[in-house]
Amino acid sequence: MEQVNQEDWLDGELREAAPYIDDEGFTARVLQQLPPPRRSHDLLRAVILLGMTFLASVLAYVASGGGRFVSITLERLVALPALWIFVLALASGLVIAAVGATAAISRDRGLQA
Amino acid sequence: MELTDADLVARIFVDDDQHAFGELVRRHQSAVRGLLRQLTRTDVALADDLAQQTFLRAYKNIRSFRGEARFSTWLYRIAYNCFREDARRRKEFVGIDEEQLQAQRDPQVVDPGLRHDLMRALSLLPLNERSAVLLCCQNGLSHDEASRVLDIPLGTVKTNVLRGREKLKRMLADWGPN
Repeated sequence: MEQVNQEDWLDGELREAAPYIDDEGFTARVLQQLPPPRRSHDLLRAVILLGMTFLASVLAYVASGGGRFVSITLERLVALPALWIFVLALASGLVIAAVGATAAISRDRGLQA
Repeated sequence: MELTDADLVARIFVDDDQHAFGELVRRHQSAVRGLLRQLTRTDVALADDLAQQTFLRAYKNIRSFRGEARFSTWLYRIAYNCFREDARRRKEFVGIDEEQLQAQRDPQVVDPGLRHDLMRALSLLPLNERSAVLLCCQNGLSHDEASRVLDIPLGTVKTNVLRGREKLKRMLADWGPN
């Protein structure tokens, strides 16, 4: 029993012997030394991706004769029976939802890792 | 609602959010600086330099934090590694000799304040016992967490805590409960 009291006493004294240390500019000094945030690289990456997408879209538009294939496809779609259009819309929705869910799960795993 | 350490780490991970990192530094600076001050035998300037190194290293390696341990445990491990590397460079003497121990027990050289005596007694412990006692008894880590921080087997941590405590009790025998 006395042994337990001794240990409690010692642990208590040890905890009390470690008072809170005021920040006094410590955090600011650490933050000053951090490397610049990655955001600039992300912005550059976004600009490159958007630029490439725009360029590819323009090329596809020109190569496809002014996008005539879009209007032809739309005309064919309109001519389809209503049931087919419903099935196509449902399938597209499912594919997009599956891709979104996969991306969210992989991102979540990345965060947990 | 206050964000948890894990939330803040996720913000740094995803957006490189330095404000989130600042909040983590504010939360843990006292514990990390306190631990390093004890490890460096109250060399405040050196301890604060090592604490800065600790947080910078934590920021650079934040992606290696897997969330298996508490963020504070992960930080202590980095802090201890920074201290150990510095001590290796300085070839710190980590032993304790019986003369020092006797000097502590001699009433003529014992300082009046218990806090002062405790700090002095701690500083006289060998590094392996001092660090184990500091982490487990002062900072509230479990033996298992301390073994990860110190990168030594669980049994060794338990032995070091036991030995360190015994020596502290001997050195502080006059102050203990009767």
